Amino acid sequence: MTLKILDPTVSAEEATDVAVAKRVADLDGKVLGLLHNGKVNGDRLLDLVREQLATRYRLREIVVVRKPSASRVADADDLDRLARTCDAVVTAIGD
Amino acid sequence: MALAAAEHEVADWPEAIETCFERGWTDGLPVVPATAPAVRRFLAAAGQAPDDVVLVEATRRRSITAEKVAINAVLAGCRPEYMPVLLAALRAMADPAFTLHGAITSTGGSATLVVVNGPIRQRLDFNAGGNVFGPGRRANATLGRAIRLITLNCLGAQPGVLDRSTQGHPGKYTYCIAELEEDSPWPPLHVDRGLPREASAVTVFAAEGPHNVLSHYGETADAIVVAIADTMACLGSFSPGESFVVLAPEHVQILARDGWTRPRIREALYAAARRTVADLKRGGKLPGAVEPGEETRWMHRGQGPDDIHLVVAGGGAGGHSAFIPSWSRERNSLAVTREIP
Repeated sequence: MTLKILDPTVSAEEATDVAVAKRVADLDGKVLGLLHNGKVNGDRLLDLVREQLATRYRLREIVVVRKPSASRVADADDLDRLARTCDAVVTAIGD
Repeated sequence: MALAAAEHEVADWPEAIETCFERGWTDGLPVVPATAPAVRRFLAAAGQAPDDVVLVEATRRRSITAEKVAINAVLAGCRPEYMPVLLAALRAMADPAFTLHGAITSTGGSATLVVVNGPIRQRLDFNAGGNVFGPGRRANATLGRAIRLITLNCLGAQPGVLDRSTQGHPGKYTYCIAELEEDSPWPPLHVDRGLPREASAVTVFAAEGPHNVLSHYGETADAIVVAIADTMACLGSFSPGESFVVLAPEHVQILARDGWTRPRIREALYAAARRTVADLKRGGKLPGAVEPGEETRWMHRGQGPDDIHLVVAGGGAGGHSAFIPSWSRERNSLAVTREIP
C-alpha cells in the first residue's frame, strides 16, 4: 500500500496582493528611483549605479529615498511616492 | 475537511522520509512525513480551518495558513496539542515589532528564542529545569523545530538563498525553554510583560545563542551581578538592543536571599553592563579613531533597565546562568509576548 505525503512549502505564487510592475524598454526620458536600504555603503553603491546608468541613458530625473534601517520594511509613504513618481526603481544594500 | 496542499505518492515510510530530504523540506535531520489524517488531527486540536491565515510576512507578502503550520508541526515531530503554543508563537513573530523578514534572513544569524510561561508548561510537559537549552524533552525540541521548519518551508529562508547567516548558531535547529516559575521569587516573565498570572503565554525574541555566566564562588548578589554584567558588556555582542538573562536557580536563591527585586537587578545590570566609546572604537564596534574624552564616555548594553528581561530556568545544581543578546542592534526587532488562548 502506498502513502500520500503533503507538501509543507508555500510558493511565491501564493504571495498575497502582489502584482508585477510593467517593464520599461529603456530609461531615456524616464524618472529613476534609487532606494537605499540603510546599510553602510549602500548609498555609495547606488551612486555608482546612477553614474553608470547616466552614461547609457538620458534620465529625466532621479528620486532618492533612504530607509531609516536595513532591517525594517520600507515606509509605505516612501513606496507610494516611488511608485507614483518613478518609471523604474533600483534598490541596493551595501556592507 | 478538505486540504489544499499538493500530495506526493510514495511506496513506504522510508521512501517518504527520503522524499522529504530530496525535496528540501527538512532542516538536515529526518522529519516525520505528513499525511492528511495526521494534519487533520493537528488542525482539529487547534480548532482551525485549513485555510485560516495564521501569519502574513510583511516584506514578501507570504501568507501561511493553519494547514501549512500543521504540516510543518507534523514534520517537526510535535504532538497535536502543541498547536496552540505554535500558533501563538507564530502570531507573535508576525507582530511588526519583531521584524520577521530581517530576523530570518540577516547575516546576524539569529534564531527565534521561545519562552513558554503559565500552566500550559506542565500540561504539555515543557522543560524549565536541568539542561533547559539542551536535548531530551519533546515539547521544547519539536516546538522550536517547527518554527525553524516553517521559516525554511513557508518563508523561503533556506540557507544560502534568503537566509544569509554568516555563521548562524545551534539554536536555529530549536530554541525553546519554559520558565521555572515555581523557583522564582519574582513575578514570571509573562506577568512582567502585562499578562495575568493564570494566563499561559509565549514570548519570542530574535536572538543570538546563550552566553554562559559561570559564577560558582559568587556567594552574594553583588558577585553574581558583576559576572552577568561583564558577560553582557562583551564587545562581540555589544549593542543598545534588548537582553534576556536566564537565571539559574542557584543564582536566584542568592539574589532572593539578599533581598534583590527584579527592578533592582535590572538597574544594577544596566548600570554595570557598559563600555567606553574608546573601547567600542578599538574593537571595531564604532567607526573612526579614538577622540579625546572617549576613554571616559560610556555606552550601556540596552537603552535602559527595562531592556533586560529576566527569566528563571535551569537545574537545581550549578552556578550557570545565561545572557542572550538580541539579534537587533537597535530597536529593529523587539521581544513580543502573546497569550496562548
